[in-house]
Amino acid sequence: MTCEPTGLCQGKGLLTLKEGAWANNPLAIQVLGICSALAVTNRLENSLVMGAALIFVCVGSNLLVSLLRKVTPYRFRMIAEVSIIATFVILFDQFLRAFYWDMSKQLGPYVGLIITNCIVMGRAEAFALQNPPVLSIVDGIANGLGYAVVLAIIGFFRELLGAGEILGREIPGFSSWYTPNQLMILAPGAFFALGIVIGIFNWIKGPEPQENK
Amino acid sequence: MKNNVYTLFYAGVLGTVCSLLLTAVASFTAPYQQANAKAEKNRNILGVLQVQYAPGASSQELVQIFEDNVLSEQKGVLTMYRYVPPKDSDKTETVAVGFEGPGLWGPVKGFLALDKDMRTIRGVTFYEQEETPGLGGEIVTAGFRDQFVGKSIVDEAGNPGIIISSGGDPAANKVDAISGATMTCDKVQAMLNETIKSIVEEKQ
Repeated sequence: MTCEPTGLCQGKGLLTLKEGAWANNPLAIQVLGICSALAVTNRLENSLVMGAALIFVCVGSNLLVSLLRKVTPYRFRMIAEVSIIATFVILFDQFLRAFYWDMSKQLGPYVGLIITNCIVMGRAEAFALQNPPVLSIVDGIANGLGYAVVLAIIGFFRELLGAGEILGREIPGFSSWYTPNQLMILAPGAFFALGIVIGIFNWIKGPEPQENK
Repeated sequence: MKNNVYTLFYAGVLGTVCSLLLTAVASFTAPYQQANAKAEKNRNILGVLQVQYAPGASSQELVQIFEDNVLSEQKGVLTMYRYVPPKDSDKTETVAVGFEGPGLWGPVKGFLALDKDMRTIRGVTFYEQEETPGLGGEIVTAGFRDQFVGKSIVDEAGNPGIIISSGGDPAANKVDAISGATMTCDKVQAMLNETIKSIVEEKQ
């Protein structure tokens, strides 16, 4: 749980997983990638698809960056990372447009904007460049999962309180008497929900050791 | 120098591989994406013509419903979509005409549906717009679009044109503009009037 910075975790997949998904959760602890987290979480379904997109892109780009890490010229590495990330993002976007048209319309530009998501680039730069492919895949899954789970939590509560439904379906015994609070669907609701989730994560995790010195 | 050549070579190979991969995927998914885009257009036309169909219809079903109910014909510069229910095939219910023009930030496209008298508006819909969310983007809301229902495309004197404006007296061809979206409303009015002019000219 109290894993030191990634250098010491080499070869330990479980530690990498815990680090990415919990101890160093990209959204709740590092507060990265919140733009998309605020924008697409008005429905649980949107949040889940967006989470899946990020896991796919993070795993794919981490794997490729890690495979190429020994042949990539150092000063060219960032351009290479962005090219690889962009390729995976457009792959996913094309797939959505072809087979999940309605979802693609709802997510709009936010799938394409994963290219600029700091989590993906951050993991490629900070982890995949220094670590072997298998461990990089684990790291990609961990961080993608960390993002997806937080997104799902926010999406769940925003849809529950904002629309009185879950996954577009009415909940027996709840939707009949609950008056949906529009605010939760709108942007302020996203800020409230994200703030509360970040607060709870940090409260459970406890303060950073260096903050106590 | 050697280092530079290697970097260039690396960039070339990586770029080529990425673009080949994307080209392959794009050409593989192209037919599905085109079908979706066509169904989307059909859904808009069916909606503005007030054709009744099951809500969860798939792309293929939409294309079929469209072919069963709608006759499209070219009249001058206009493409008209006539809703002809299959049961009584010589009776036109409503007619939809596409319109498009520049909005404030990008192209605006939509359909105008008219009664069979070709004067009374049955509905307006926008299927493509990039106007400011919350201001010009409100043109897609039912609150704005429903105002058009029952309005006439000619004024009392018979001159073609519709007015989108915040002030002035109520008229048979006037709807309220959106506050804070004057530019968008003016541009929508201009593109609607251009189409209305063609419709009226076509009728004579």
